[in-house]
Amino acid sequence: MNTVELAGVRKSYDDFVAVDNLSFRIQPGTIYGLLGPNGAGKTSTLRMIIGIIIPDSGQVLILGEPLGRAHTNRFGYLPEERGLYKKMKVLTHLILLAQLKGLTRGEASKRASDWCERFELTAWMDKKVEELSKGMQQKVQFIGAILHDPELIVMDEPFSGLDPASAVALKDAVLELAKNGKTILLSTHRMDQAERLCQSICLINHGRAVLEGDLDQIKANYGHCSVQIKYDGDAGFLHEPKLVQSFNDYGNYVEVRLAPDADTQELLRLACSKARVDRFEVMQPSLEEIFIESVSKPKPHA
Amino acid sequence: MRNTWLIIQREYMERVRTTSFVVLTLLAPAIMTALMILPAKLATMGDKAQHIVVVTSTPQFGEMVRQRLLSANSASDRDEDDDGTSSQANDAKQTGANRTGASQTDEKQFIIDVDANPTEAERAVLRDRVTAQAIDGYLWLTDDAIASGKVTWASRNLAGSAQRSRWSEELSRIMLYQRLSKSNVSAEQADLLLKPIKVDAVRIEHGRETKDSSGKKFLEVVVMVMLIYVAVLLYGISVMRSVLEEKNSRVMEVLLSSATSTELMIGKIFGVGAVGLTQIVVWVVMAGVFALPALAMQPNLSDLLVPPAVLVAFAVFFLLGYLLFSAMYAAIGAITTTEQEGQQLQFIIVIPLVLSVFMLSSVVRTPDAPFVVWMSMVPFFAPVLMYARIVIQTPPAWQIALSLFLLIATIAGLLILCARIYRIGILIYGKRPNLPEILKWLKYAKT
Repeated sequence: MNTVELAGVRKSYDDFVAVDNLSFRIQPGTIYGLLGPNGAGKTSTLRMIIGIIIPDSGQVLILGEPLGRAHTNRFGYLPEERGLYKKMKVLTHLILLAQLKGLTRGEASKRASDWCERFELTAWMDKKVEELSKGMQQKVQFIGAILHDPELIVMDEPFSGLDPASAVALKDAVLELAKNGKTILLSTHRMDQAERLCQSICLINHGRAVLEGDLDQIKANYGHCSVQIKYDGDAGFLHEPKLVQSFNDYGNYVEVRLAPDADTQELLRLACSKARVDRFEVMQPSLEEIFIESVSKPKPHA
Repeated sequence: MRNTWLIIQREYMERVRTTSFVVLTLLAPAIMTALMILPAKLATMGDKAQHIVVVTSTPQFGEMVRQRLLSANSASDRDEDDDGTSSQANDAKQTGANRTGASQTDEKQFIIDVDANPTEAERAVLRDRVTAQAIDGYLWLTDDAIASGKVTWASRNLAGSAQRSRWSEELSRIMLYQRLSKSNVSAEQADLLLKPIKVDAVRIEHGRETKDSSGKKFLEVVVMVMLIYVAVLLYGISVMRSVLEEKNSRVMEVLLSSATSTELMIGKIFGVGAVGLTQIVVWVVMAGVFALPALAMQPNLSDLLVPPAVLVAFAVFFLLGYLLFSAMYAAIGAITTTEQEGQQLQFIIVIPLVLSVFMLSSVVRTPDAPFVVWMSMVPFFAPVLMYARIVIQTPPAWQIALSLFLLIATIAGLLILCARIYRIGILIYGKRPNLPEILKWLKYAKT
């Protein structure tokens, strides 16, 4: 049974359509990434999944049933911007969040202390939230979302604004939760992050799904390989339409999308004949490339 | 239910623990007491004994005037005190304060010298003494002056009309007394003839006379209106502010993933309300402790007690009024983004309150005029107007019941409506929605 299933979900604010006919399924125990640029409708989608907002049409199924009050204690939510009472003490705050999810006071207190220890927050448990750094607040927020041991954890841009060390700590925690069979749904606009963490993704743009499914599958289906070339000299070989469909100059190197049926060896020979090649690497397409490709390509039925 | 309870607890505990709450709760009564006592203290401090000189044609007459003035002065103070227990603006505490204040000033209010040397030269000397502040003033009470019916009181400050009328009243009485004694009327008979008449107001309630004066009634109404005002403005704004805070800190999103908007709103209103009640209870207890000694000294204590029915009415209408207006404040918080914006919308709440105060005087004058009766049914006015009617003249039971029913129904309806506004509004940031947009929310927020 799917942990989450969206069927033709649509949400509009006045004339603005935030989410349009969106459908996807999340298998239990997977890390699912909701990707897209800012304003694509990611947050609206997540809010509909946890029931903060109600879709105009379509259906959200949680564990096979229409979303209802009974489900609220079975998922945890980490909002995009830190949502904590600034004046409350960390431990008191965590206990409140866990109690709202149905835990008893004693149990909530015990679990909160354990998690704080794990995230090296023990010394801060009696401090007010506002005294903590942004990274620490994000950790508190994360603990608050998982204290009640939810089956589904919904995280909106969990890594934004985190320093590298905190981001690693958070990533490890997320991976461990997944290993323990929890389902994780996270949104991000950073493709590289999703590429490393997620098993499945849904790429949305302007509220519509552009790509959806298993990440490896998506890449395989996409087919085309790309090549990263570091060179010095004449760039004329990049303009050979039989070999190169498009290219993207990153400064240090150029990423080349091969034309259909093009041979990588032929491109290498051509490059060598015109310029000095320092590096030539055949790449699987990056998610970012796939995304840009999918978004810029005209709709098939249009 | 559990969630609502948790939210109430949080709102209560977090607020009660703040220093500002403790300071306000403990300091407000101190400030209030200071405001009440200081002016009285200052007034008595400035009230040194007045040194005046009475200038008469004969020393005998001067001595008599002196005696009469001194005794009339203390007598009139007693008179005022007797009025005080039943007259306006004298609640229990103040009466106590007045009493002690008056007894302190009685003796030293006047030092009266008699001068039987009515010459222009003496008048100039007196004038100089007044200027040199050796005396406060003199009374030119020569036989000539009395004959012409015009007596002069001269002092540094122009006497106020109250003081002038007091002088003339007392002097008239002295003159009458003197004329009576000249006509061979004995002193006792003269006293009897000149005994002032006091008017005593009684109110007939349930066929019995009660000594309640309209002044005390008015006070009961004013205290209620003040408390409603303070509670609504102070705690209602507190509700609005905390909604805004949760919106802006995005705590709301986290809470909404666990609790419904109705639970959040009701929890907030009751939590903040409980904080307000705590504050009021602390104040009442403190006032009680301080006022008890003064109260216990009151001979007619039972007259000062507010009847239990009025207390019940007060509690009911106070709480319902708070619920009504704070639900509106919560909704305002939900549709706005900043406190300034919220304060601009406050007029929705303030206007009914101000209108009720305007209508208050009609209620006091004619508590059963049709206009007043119907206005006291309107839920937004009922907390003030119906309560005022209950205090002034018990209205028919059906009217109280109807007013309560309408008020409770409106609160229930408002809570449902506001919960919907809340549900949508709390997640809307930026532009404030206009009325049609809010109406649309109400339609499609089906929680």
